[in-house]
Amino acid sequence: MSAAPALLLDGVVKNFGLVHVLRDVNITVAAGERHAIIGPNGAGKSTLFHMITGRFPVSGGRISLHGRDITDMSSYDIYRLGVARSFQVTSLFNRLSVFENLRVGAMRNKGAGHAWWRLLDGYGPLRERAEEMLEMLGLTARRNVPAGLLAYADQRALEIGLAIVGGATTILLDEPTAGMSRHETERAVALIRRVSEGRTLVIVEHDMGVVFDLADRISVLDNGRVIASGTPADVRGDPAVRSAYLGAAAEVLT
Amino acid sequence: MRTISHTLPWVIAVVLVLVAPHVFGSGFSISLLCRMAIAAVFALSFNMLMGQGGMMDFGHAVYLGLGGFLAMHVMRAADAGWWIPTPALPIVGAFGGVVAAGLGGLVVSRSTRTAFAMITMGLAEAIVALVLMLPRLFGGEEGINADRSGGPPIFGFDFGSPLEAYYVIAFWALAAAGLMFLFTRTPLGRLSNAVRDNAERVGFLGYNPGRVRYFVYMFSGLFAGLAGGLQAINDEIITSANIGSNAAGAVLLMTFIGGVGTFAGPVVGAVVVTLMQMALGTVTEAWQLYNGLIFIVMVLWAPGGISGIILAHAPLVRSGQARRLVPSYLTVLPGFVAALLGTIGLSENAYRLQSIRGGSPPGGSIFGIPSDPQTMTPWLVSLALTAVGLWLVARTAPRARAAWLEIAGGTQA
Repeated sequence: MSAAPALLLDGVVKNFGLVHVLRDVNITVAAGERHAIIGPNGAGKSTLFHMITGRFPVSGGRISLHGRDITDMSSYDIYRLGVARSFQVTSLFNRLSVFENLRVGAMRNKGAGHAWWRLLDGYGPLRERAEEMLEMLGLTARRNVPAGLLAYADQRALEIGLAIVGGATTILLDEPTAGMSRHETERAVALIRRVSEGRTLVIVEHDMGVVFDLADRISVLDNGRVIASGTPADVRGDPAVRSAYLGAAAEVLT
Repeated sequence: MRTISHTLPWVIAVVLVLVAPHVFGSGFSISLLCRMAIAAVFALSFNMLMGQGGMMDFGHAVYLGLGGFLAMHVMRAADAGWWIPTPALPIVGAFGGVVAAGLGGLVVSRSTRTAFAMITMGLAEAIVALVLMLPRLFGGEEGINADRSGGPPIFGFDFGSPLEAYYVIAFWALAAAGLMFLFTRTPLGRLSNAVRDNAERVGFLGYNPGRVRYFVYMFSGLFAGLAGGLQAINDEIITSANIGSNAAGAVLLMTFIGGVGTFAGPVVGAVVVTLMQMALGTVTEAWQLYNGLIFIVMVLWAPGGISGIILAHAPLVRSGQARRLVPSYLTVLPGFVAALLGTIGLSENAYRLQSIRGGSPPGGSIFGIPSDPQTMTPWLVSLALTAVGLWLVARTAPRARAAWLEIAGGTQA
């Protein structure tokens, strides 16, 4: 069996009315790869994530996961095939505690389903998984705090936690370190590196330090198109990328 | 420790339920207790949607009503000789409720928030119209009735006496409350909280939020139908009034006044509002007005309901700091009492004036004080009391609030 790419985007197009957000996006992500998607604001990075995870329908093109077409699937069906994501704008269960957030996140893959005939506390592996995740995120001390009352950095950590707690094989992180301090970013990157071991990671990130530190391959999105895709070294030297990143960001690339 | 704090309230509830009819033994009290128990089950089922699932059902009485109608028909069959004991009727009601909600849920569970509320309202209107159009099934305006003592006796009890009916109702109310509490601790119960907080994110964790809403809606309908079965036993009659928007509005009121944020809140609300309806109803015609005013005051100043107020103060009472709040709370009291008396004066005089115009003899009294609404004095006194009272509250309340924030801020995170 030929190894189909973990994620294949083939000519993906997205229009919002007359606005063309994605024009013709082709990206191949191999299994086990850490793939970063970069590009200026408004390039369509978050929209691309929404397309992959079934949040909005695509206007054209195909998306496949390990060779399986997922283009028109719902977000929950895509999740069940092993794709989990985080959001650029923190999206938690604000009135539930940190622990309950993680438990809800792990429920599906720990076999709890929609069960109404069994108590949640009876699912040992589910509790263990949520507790393990608390530990990894450094949130054990905040276990019983409602997510809505957490400090911003802790909310961002939990946002990442929700994406990874279910044990998905393909993880999409949308600007996971946005708004984090230097120190917090380092911790987050270490965590992402650790949890993406042996999995496929697609990450949208503005912090070029993080991108070049973490990514095996990088795709550069500009104006709804992929203008470059390759190893960090290839992308760094690409003239099209340089012209897309005028000013301060270009300095980072050199 | 944790198990004690979880079981203790239930032990207290069971003891209260067993002892209550012997402490308050009059026919009126037993009838009041039965209504409280039924309202509590109904309000808890409503809060499965509103408080825990974030779904505002403006037509929830449909499931109580349909469950009640089905139980009523089965009670008639028992009167006609079928072997169906009266204590089993709530199961029939629950079955009716869950089937109805299984159908209704297909219509409503795709929507969220405002759209959800609107659709439940429309659905309820349609069902009420349908009920009135099918008089053979639902008895038209008069509803249908039966005799609860007509079923087969169990251990010699025929459940005809109010006390025997009370114990049947109390047993089922406790069982239903216990099951609804356990439901909050199941995966589906927790998912309903997650859908309430952030339905979209649930979709990215492998669950279809519409499906979660559908299942929760069915459970809520099941317990509402059970309450309908209890109502059939208690009233021995179910009419279209039990299905309509008045009944749906009443359960919303109860749940909100009691507090949507805690499990026991709706029970507190059911007890308080039922007490008000029946007790105030005997002393004043204006009880519905007071009900509405209390609702407005709660929504504006205590959105957590009675249980929310208790919850906010419990840690302060435990740590002994509540004493420091008493003086600043007391400063609000005179203004509050004045405004309350003034409002009562205005409403009672208005109602009195109406009935004098309708042919009642003139004059009247409030709290034993002579008050003739056809003269100026009662109106001026009431108006002055209300105005001065509200002004005093407006002056003193911010300080009481500041005092609470200062003290509570020290103990909470």
